[in-house]
Amino acid sequence: MTFRDYISVSTGNLWRMKLRATLTVAGVVIAIAAFIAIMSYGVGLQQNITEQYENLGLVNTMMVYPPRDQQKVDTANIVINQEMVDSITALPGVRLVYPFNEFNVTITTADTSITTKAQALSVTALQTKAFSDLAAGETFGNDSAKYILATEALLHDLAIESADSLIGDTLIVSIDVASLDSAIARVPQTMLENIHDRAANIRMDSLRNRDYLMHLVHAELKVAMTGFMDGLMNARKTVSDTLVVSGVLRGRFGGPLRLKPIIIPIATGRNFASAGYSGDPVNMLGAMYDGSIFEAPSDSSRTFPKLTLELDPHHAYEPIRDTIEALGFRTFSFAEQLKEIRRFFIYFDLGLAVVGMIALVTAALGIVNTMVMSIVERTREIGVLKSLGAGERDIRILFLVESGLIGIIGAIIGIIGGWMISRVASIIARTIMEREGIPPMELFALPLWLIATALGFALAVSLIAGYYPASRAARIDPVNALRGE
Amino acid sequence: MSDGRLQAIGLCRYYHRGPQTVKAVDEVDLTIAPGEFLGIVGASGSGKSTLLNLLAGLDTPTAGEIRYENTPLRALSRQELASYRAHKVGMIFQSFNLIQHHTALKNVEMALYFNDTPHRERRCLAEKTLTRLGLGDRMHHRPADLSGGEQQRVAIARALVKEPEILFADEPTGNLDHDNTGQIAELLTDLHRRGLTVVMVTHDLELARQCTSRIVNMHYGRLQSENEPPQPRKASS
Ligand SMILES: Nc1ncnc2c1ncn2[C@@H]1O[C@H](COP(=O)(O)OP(=O)(O)O)[C@@H](O)[C@H]1O
Ligand SMILES: [Mg+2]
Repeated sequence: MTFRDYISVSTGNLWRMKLRATLTVAGVVIAIAAFIAIMSYGVGLQQNITEQYENLGLVNTMMVYPPRDQQKVDTANIVINQEMVDSITALPGVRLVYPFNEFNVTITTADTSITTKAQALSVTALQTKAFSDLAAGETFGNDSAKYILATEALLHDLAIESADSLIGDTLIVSIDVASLDSAIARVPQTMLENIHDRAANIRMDSLRNRDYLMHLVHAELKVAMTGFMDGLMNARKTVSDTLVVSGVLRGRFGGPLRLKPIIIPIATGRNFASAGYSGDPVNMLGAMYDGSIFEAPSDSSRTFPKLTLELDPHHAYEPIRDTIEALGFRTFSFAEQLKEIRRFFIYFDLGLAVVGMIALVTAALGIVNTMVMSIVERTREIGVLKSLGAGERDIRILFLVESGLIGIIGAIIGIIGGWMISRVASIIARTIMEREGIPPMELFALPLWLIATALGFALAVSLIAGYYPASRAARIDPVNALRGE
Repeated sequence: MSDGRLQAIGLCRYYHRGPQTVKAVDEVDLTIAPGEFLGIVGASGSGKSTLLNLLAGLDTPTAGEIRYENTPLRALSRQELASYRAHKVGMIFQSFNLIQHHTALKNVEMALYFNDTPHRERRCLAEKTLTRLGLGDRMHHRPADLSGGEQQRVAIARALVKEPEILFADEPTGNLDHDNTGQIAELLTDLHRRGLTVVMVTHDLELARQCTSRIVNMHYGRLQSENEPPQPRKASS
């Protein structure tokens, strides 16, 4: 018998038991449709995440942080400074390094005024893929431009609906700085207040008493310190600049790079940074302690809380990571995170597949049942075929082709069905996302390999299901089968 | 030599029913010469069908040997035995054994599935054979729409279409009336005259005498020549 004969005889047999074949196929259809719908959700989700990483070039992005515990003696010298930036820039495979320096700013628009955080970035950094996802407008053209780039977080803070309406708007960006000058100036001022009351209270006769003298000195130092702190906290000066919004980056929370709501060209930003210490006054004590506050905020002495590295995609990130970590820094690479995510999805997809498989096993039992039933009915026919010269192999293949056809037909209809289910679910999901204000995205994907897998699984399962009935049919004794009725 | 010769030597086929052994075929020696028309007669249950099935390669003997052209069938693999049935042997049965859901034409065509006949030639050969047997206008009928005689002729067409060397007929007229019996008997004698080896099992001695060239008698699984008087049933073993 040729393969064509097997197919034509088997389709004829299936056609003759239409109802039963249809019900059996329906079992496979349901299983495969469920499998496809579930899997295309898992695959779609994974594709979405991977795409986001790839579109933003995140797999080539690495973050570097100083050691976690800066108080420890052995890590105190490991800071991100210009020298360190230069040495990392020199590493092979590192294309670009840009430090992250944030500061508090006040944004004043025509309507309102809010405080938020800003960071300064160079144009070269902004030209990387990580900053390519703009909701509106464009990035500024040079490092001393009087433009800013906002993220969608700023839209939210300013309660503005559309990104487009912010483009071209003028913002007054101002920064409150505390300087040593204002703090020191406040000391004599404070000392002079109530000086008469304090002088009147001094017990002159006890000045010889050493303890009393120490107490007095302490009290006076306390007054001086209070004045200094007061100067830091309150006598701050304001530096401001008028900047125009050139573009809005997507990302309600600053995107994967956790950008601050406002990005200022680096040279423009330097005006703010050089004006003084803009951070939390409490932290300033720390800065005083390590001496950095007394130095001019020049490039060579400044330290940064983190660095962003743009890596060469043809270069493995692991050696770069290892080199940097060997220096005592902490790193975070999106490539590694993506690897973790992919590993997670293997188990996730496997779990989903198992759910689909359970349905397929049930369908397989249906196939076994149908095929065994048809053996009983076709015993005589099998006897006739054997008397005509059919071998065991022919009968076995006939039955396997028959159950294989059930699997394939079921899989084809099931794939179409599963695809339709995913379409309907996708439409519902998009509607909900739109209503919730989330940018609608495609949650389902049906790649060719998934279709092939479904077909392969259905075929394999149906052949396994058909194996026992087929062997039984092949072993039928023709003499018994043909004995007169 | 012995082209097309079929030989049974010490052939046995036993069935075990609980503690009892049924010797359906017992120590049968038989040679079927090419071109002869052998009749096997005997009472019902004497083992005629069992012997025929053994000779046709459809059943395997408990002991003894069947040789076709000096090759013992025992030496053949199951696939080769199937091939022996497909190429050398044609079979017809008392109950016709046509496949009910296929047309006469399809039933005949199916015999060609197993002997390597090219796909496109099958229909043509089947049509020719059916026409030769006078069924040209019955080709697209299903067995249920045909008379017993016509059904048996379809079955004969199915056996002949692959041009076998031996035709085994197991009570071919058992389910037919007198007229149809005559027609089938005539058909078989005609085929024999054209050179086909025919082995026919029947319990109808008259029919056997009418068309066969040699008759053997089966009695409780054993073979006796026709000339020997039928042995009386043994009262005790
Ligand atoms: N599958 C079987 N199991 C047990 N006994 C059988 C089987 N087939 C046939 N027999 C027995 O073998 C004997 C011969 O049967 P059979 O060849 O059909 O006789 P005939 O064709 O001459 O009527 C009978 O006694 C029958 O009951
Ligand atoms: Mg019989």
